Amino acid sequence: MSNKAVGMKKWAFSDGYIPVQSTGHEPDFVSSDKLSVLNTTKEDATINITLYFTDGEPVGEFKIEVKAERVRKFRINDLIDPQAIPLGVAYAGVIESNVPVVVQFTKQNTAQSKLALMGTMAFPLD
Amino acid sequence: MAEEWVNWSGSLRFTPGVVERPNNEEAVRQLVTQALEQKKKIRIAGAGHSSVPLVKTDQILVEQGKMNGVIAHDEETRRVKVLPGIHIAEIGEALVRRGLSMHNTGDVDFQRLAGAFGTGTHGSGIKLQNLPGMLTGCRLVDGRGRIREFTQENNPEMMNALRVSLGALGFFTELTIQTETARKFTREEYCTHIDTCMEHLDELINKNMMFDFYWYPRNDLVKLRLCNPEGEGMNKLSFAHKIKHEEGWLYQILPRDRKLKFDEMEYAIPYEAGPACFQEIRKRVKEKHRQYVAWRLFYRTIAADEGYLSPFHKRDSVTIAVLQNNVLEHERYFNDIEPIFRAYGGRPHWGKKFSLKAEELRPLYPKWDEFLQIRKEMDPEGVFLNEYLKEILGV
Ligand SMILES: Cc1cc2nc3c(=O)[nH]c(=O)nc-3n(C[C@H](O)[C@H](O)[C@H](O)COP(=O)(O)OP(=O)(O)OC[C@H]3O[C@@H](n4cnc5c(N)ncnc54)[C@H](O)[C@@H]3O)c2cc1C
Repeated sequence: MSNKAVGMKKWAFSDGYIPVQSTGHEPDFVSSDKLSVLNTTKEDATINITLYFTDGEPVGEFKIEVKAERVRKFRINDLIDPQAIPLGVAYAGVIESNVPVVVQFTKQNTAQSKLALMGTMAFPLD
Repeated sequence: MAEEWVNWSGSLRFTPGVVERPNNEEAVRQLVTQALEQKKKIRIAGAGHSSVPLVKTDQILVEQGKMNGVIAHDEETRRVKVLPGIHIAEIGEALVRRGLSMHNTGDVDFQRLAGAFGTGTHGSGIKLQNLPGMLTGCRLVDGRGRIREFTQENNPEMMNALRVSLGALGFFTELTIQTETARKFTREEYCTHIDTCMEHLDELINKNMMFDFYWYPRNDLVKLRLCNPEGEGMNKLSFAHKIKHEEGWLYQILPRDRKLKFDEMEYAIPYEAGPACFQEIRKRVKEKHRQYVAWRLFYRTIAADEGYLSPFHKRDSVTIAVLQNNVLEHERYFNDIEPIFRAYGGRPHWGKKFSLKAEELRPLYPKWDEFLQIRKEMDPEGVFLNEYLKEILGV
């Protein structure tokens, strides 16, 4: 297996928005924004996320560990440290890592029972 | 003026007139006598972890950091005498050196023992009483400046008044607690769905010495936490996914490190009403609050006791706590949930947020009037009262 580090250390996404409403069994069908982080390096990744809003000061840093050669997925809805972010508001995020990682951003909207799902790459910054 | 005093969560701030730090019982007695002469008021601070103004004063605030340590222990009865300012973590360690242990702790261990007793601090376990359930004797300086000594054997009713007494009956200068032989414990954490948890709830509560769960309102998942003496209790749960396993002395593995600050409201409701009350709150949180609330809710069980103002007075109980980041608004959330707790006969945790005043509290406590009678006898001048205590006690 190649040891080559894949990805970048800095990423951003600008289309954050988690609907307040959800339908269906949770957690599978909860409306959410999810980040998926792939760390192909031999070192654990420490990810720092700062979130920006249309109104109010940025909130952060949310710290997430992704072990060496692992992928980790988490819903932004679930983060509480340093504080929970409100649902139903527009936001954006900048993600910084100590090692190169690949970041994908997935939105799930179950505000009505017909599931809507959209996945995209976060924007690489370095 | 002394420096501003801030509680753990930062939601409570005040500037006392003076902060005193006595190092023995005689110094406490002198403080009370002087306060009486000068018609001043005293409040006693523990570690400042309560989030209601129990210790608020613009007059004399007494800290007890210098009254800390184990005085003596009796090997036969396993009773231990300690000074009131000892922290839960310190007592845990000091006891294990003597082959002993407390029967339980709360979720954290940085309260002072007298402070933890003051509000009826509890852990979880259907057969385990709250922490002041350990109290078998004490010395205190009352509001007349008298040194008093009471024991469970000689003064059972007075001990029941003192067990949870909000620092309103006097200043504890020595506490005698009933401990147990120290044993090694296993602590496990599992993750599953709330529906699965509720299906297995009775079994989880009754087959484990200590069991509690956190429910996460933004995803309906739960964390189950089990703690048992080695080799006892449930293990390898088939219906949940194990995420943590620890072994050690109880004081080492039970309390958690809480760096992220929060505000909290917690009510004790009759044990049988626990599931229905929880489900009603869960529905309400999902319908109305989770736009702003992601913090978990906390479900525990506690055995009945006799303490006059213990929230578990004569009833096995479930406690349900709602939490919010301390930097976010909590009042709208807590005010909306509180009537649900009340509808189930809930009694609030004395150290956490709640809105009830004396007229609403009195019907919840069968021994309320007896407590007030004893308070009057112990502190006729109200030297240990502040505005908040007057409001909640109705004196
Ligand atoms: C992070 C965190 C976690 C918590 N976890 C739990 C938990 O798991 N279970 C639970 O039940 N509670 C819990 N609590 C609440 C906490 O245990 C109580 O508020 C407790 O009373 C705090 O103890 P303290 O030493 O900080 O005392 P303080 O809050 O400073 O004082 C509490 C009361 O005790 C009185 N007092 C203190 N010393 C004396 C004395 N020597 N003589 C007479 N009266 C005295 C005070 O006057 C006051 O009325 C938690 C709180 C926090 C902040």
